[in-house]
Amino acid sequence: MAGTGKSKKRLNAARELTQVVADYYLECQQAHDQGKPVGWMPPMNGVIEVFYAMDLQPVFPENWSPVCAAFGLTPGNFEVSEGMGYSRDLCGYLRNIVGYVYSDMHAAHVPLGGLPEPDLLISFGGGCIPAMKIFQILEQRFPSSRIFSADLPQVAVEDIRDHHIRYAVSEIHRLIDFLTRATGKKMDYDRLEEAVILSDKACALWDEIMSYRRFIPTPISAAEIGIMFVMVTRQGTQVAVDFLTKVRDEVRQRANDGIGVLEDEQVRLFWDNIPLWYNMGLFNAFEHMGGVFVAETYSAAWSLRLDTSNPLEALAMKSLMSYSLVSCLSIRRRKEMVLKACRDYAIDGAVFHQNKSCVPITIGQTDIRRALLKELDIPSITIDADHMDARNFSHAQFQTRADAFMEMLLEKKRDRGRPGV
Amino acid sequence: MVHEQHMVPFTEAAFHRTERLRNTAASGKKIIGYFCTYTPIELIHASGFLPVRIWGEQVRVEQAYTLVPNFICPYMRQSLERAMAGEYDFLSGLVQGYTCDIACGLFNVWKENIPLELFHSLPLPYNDTEDSRLFFREGVQELLDKLSGIGGCFSEDSLEETLMIYGQIREHLLALDVMRSTRRFAFGAEAFAAMLRAGFFLDPLEYLGMLADLKEALEEKEKSPAEGIPVILSGSLIENSPVLALIEELGGVIVSDDLCDGMRNASPAYGTGATPTERLLDRYMRRLPCPARARPSSRASLLLDQVRTSRARGVVFVFQKFCSPHLADYPSVSETLKKKGFPSILIELDEEGVMDGQIRTRLETFFSMLED
Ligand code: SF4
Ligand code: SF4
Repeated sequence: MAGTGKSKKRLNAARELTQVVADYYLECQQAHDQGKPVGWMPPMNGVIEVFYAMDLQPVFPENWSPVCAAFGLTPGNFEVSEGMGYSRDLCGYLRNIVGYVYSDMHAAHVPLGGLPEPDLLISFGGGCIPAMKIFQILEQRFPSSRIFSADLPQVAVEDIRDHHIRYAVSEIHRLIDFLTRATGKKMDYDRLEEAVILSDKACALWDEIMSYRRFIPTPISAAEIGIMFVMVTRQGTQVAVDFLTKVRDEVRQRANDGIGVLEDEQVRLFWDNIPLWYNMGLFNAFEHMGGVFVAETYSAAWSLRLDTSNPLEALAMKSLMSYSLVSCLSIRRRKEMVLKACRDYAIDGAVFHQNKSCVPITIGQTDIRRALLKELDIPSITIDADHMDARNFSHAQFQTRADAFMEMLLEKKRDRGRPGV
Repeated sequence: MVHEQHMVPFTEAAFHRTERLRNTAASGKKIIGYFCTYTPIELIHASGFLPVRIWGEQVRVEQAYTLVPNFICPYMRQSLERAMAGEYDFLSGLVQGYTCDIACGLFNVWKENIPLELFHSLPLPYNDTEDSRLFFREGVQELLDKLSGIGGCFSEDSLEETLMIYGQIREHLLALDVMRSTRRFAFGAEAFAAMLRAGFFLDPLEYLGMLADLKEALEEKEKSPAEGIPVILSGSLIENSPVLALIEELGGVIVSDDLCDGMRNASPAYGTGATPTERLLDRYMRRLPCPARARPSSRASLLLDQVRTSRARGVVFVFQKFCSPHLADYPSVSETLKKKGFPSILIELDEEGVMDGQIRTRLETFFSMLED
C-alpha cells in the first residue's frame, strides 16, 4: 500500500544503494578488526575528509538511526533510552543511538553487523543541542575512547565573517594535531586535497542530478532520497563519485527520454524537513492522485561546492554552512533556498513536516510557508510527525489531509486551465 | 528588625516594569533585549543602553502558535506572544549570545516578525583556548560595531565602570545566596526569585543600591533560621512559577539554586585579565555553565559541590517543558547525585503555570522520603 513502510523506487542505481550501504558498514567493521582507528563523528562537517586523508575510519551514529528505523530496531532502542530517563521530548536520533549503544550492539538481530566501537569520539559543539549531547553521552558509554571536542561558530550563513572562518580553520588544525597524537597517523596533505576534490565532484554530480528535476515529468523523486547516503558517509571518496555518476547517467537518460516517475504527472510537490525514516512510503502517498515529490530542503545541506585550491578553508566553510543552511540558525537563507527550489522545479504545493523530533528544522517553517504563498502563490500544508518516532505520527490523519490538499491543488490547476503543467 | 518593606522596592519595580521601561525608552535611552545570560550584557550597558532580559511569565499563548510549534519551551512561546501583542514596544534591539536551538530559532523568528532596529546573534566558543578567546574577542568587536551603528558609545573606560557595577551586583547576590543556605534569608523562595528577577530589567546601578539595602537589613536581623527540608533547585527558567510556593507548602526550603534565572550566572563575580574586555571575556569563559554549553559530567560535579556546600538533602530539577539541553543531561546528572546519596525529582513546567495534582503528589512523596 502506498504511504506505508518502504518507498517505491524507480532508479536501477537506487537499487545498488543497498550494496553501497552494506559495503560501508562492512568496511567499518573490518577497519575495527584490522586495528585501524575508528572515530565516531556527527555528519554535516568537514571532519570526514580529514579522516579519509589520514587513513582513519569515520562512523556516523546519526546516520545509523535511519538504518535502525528501516530495520525496525528503533522501538527497542527507544525503550532502552527512555527507561534510562531520556525524555520522549528529546530528538529521536538521540534516543535511538543512546538506546542502541546501551543495548547489545552486535546482537543477532542488529543489521549489517552493527557499529564497531569507537576509538575516537569527535564530540561536537557547533550544530544543534541533541547532536552535541549525543556525543557527550557516548563519551560516558565509551570511557576508553579518546575525545576531541570540536568547536564551530554557530552563525547564520549570511553572517559568516572572516573571523568565523579563521576560527573554524584553527579548529581543523587542532583536530589534525589531536588525531596525529591519538593515533600516530600523519596527515597526508596531498590526500586531503584529493579528498576535497572528490567531495566537490560528488557535490557537482549531486547538483546535476537535482537539476534534472526541472524536467516535466520529473525523472527522480524524493522517494529516491536514500542515495544521499553517499553524500553523508562517502564524501571525499571515489565510491561516492562512482555511484553518483551512475545515478546521474540514469537520471539524465530518463530525463532525455521523457520518462517520469509518474506517467501522468499532475502536481509537483516540495517536502520540507527530514523524511519519516520508518515510513519512506509516504513519499509515494500522493501518487495515486498524480502528485509527486520533486524536491526537498533536506538534501541541499549536503551539497556545497568547495574551493578546492584551499582545502582547509573549503572544509571550514563546509562545516560552517551545512547545519546553518537547513536549520533555524539561518531562517532567511533557508527561505530563499526553498523559494528558489520551488521556482526552479515548478512546484505546485509544499508539504511541511512539523517534526516533533527536530525543533531546529521545524522553527521557521511558518515564515517560509507564508513567503511561498505570498511571493509565489504556492499553497502548503503542515503535517505533524516525527522523523524517528512512529508514535508521533498518525497515518490516517495524514492521508485525509494529504488527499484534501491534493484535491485543492488539482482544482487550482484546473482553474488555471493548464492541467499537467 | 527586617520588615516586608525591604522587599517592596523589588515587587513594586516588577509591578510597574513595562511602564518604567516605556518611560526609559521615551526619555531617549535605548533598550536592548536578550534571552540568555550568556549574552554579554556589559557591552550593551557600556555602550550607553539598558539591557533587559525578555520575560515569558504565564501568559496564554495564542497568536504565537501562528509562528512556532507548541513543542518548544513555554518561556520562548510566551515571550513571542508578548512581543506579538506589542508588549515589548520599548525595545530597540535584540541581542543573543548563542546557547540553545530554541533561543537561536526564536531569535530568528523575532527577526522576521518583530520590527526592531538591531538584531544580533553572537556565536560563543565552547572550548577555552587561546584561539577561542581570540575568536570571542572578534565576535565582541563585531557586536560593538553593531551597537555603535545604533548610537552606542563604547569605551574601555565605560566598560570598566560597567564591570564594577555588575561585579558588585553579583557579589551581593552570592552573599544573599549564602544567607539563604544558612537560612538567614527571611522572606522565602518567592521573594528571593522576585529579588533576582528585578535585576533583569532595572538599571543596574539602581538595582545595586536596592540589593545593598536589602543585604544590610538582613545582616542586622536577629537569627531565626527558616525551618524545612533543605533542597536545591536546578534547571532552566523558573520565572514566577507557583512551584516555589508549592515546595515551601510541602515542607521544603530552597537553600540554593542552579537556575537559568537564578544564581547560575552570578559566579564568578569578576573575570581576570589586563584590560576590561579581557576581564569580561574571562568571566564568560569561566562562569558556571548551562547544559547548552557544557558536559553533563562537569555539571554533575558542580551541582554536587553546590549541594554539599549548601547542605541540601536533595535536588528538585525544574525544567521548562521541551528544554532539550536540560532533558538530555538529566539522566546522567541525577544518576550521579543518586550514587552520592542525594535523591532528586524532576518537575516540568508548562505554559499554564498551574501545579496539577500529580506534581503535588510527586513532590509530597519526595519530601516525605527526604524527611525520613
Ligand atoms: S538537527 Fe534535528 S534531527 Fe539532527 S540531531 Fe539536531 S534535533 Fe536531531
Ligand atoms: S535552555 Fe531551555 S528554557 Fe532556555 S531557551 Fe533553551 S529550551 Fe528554553
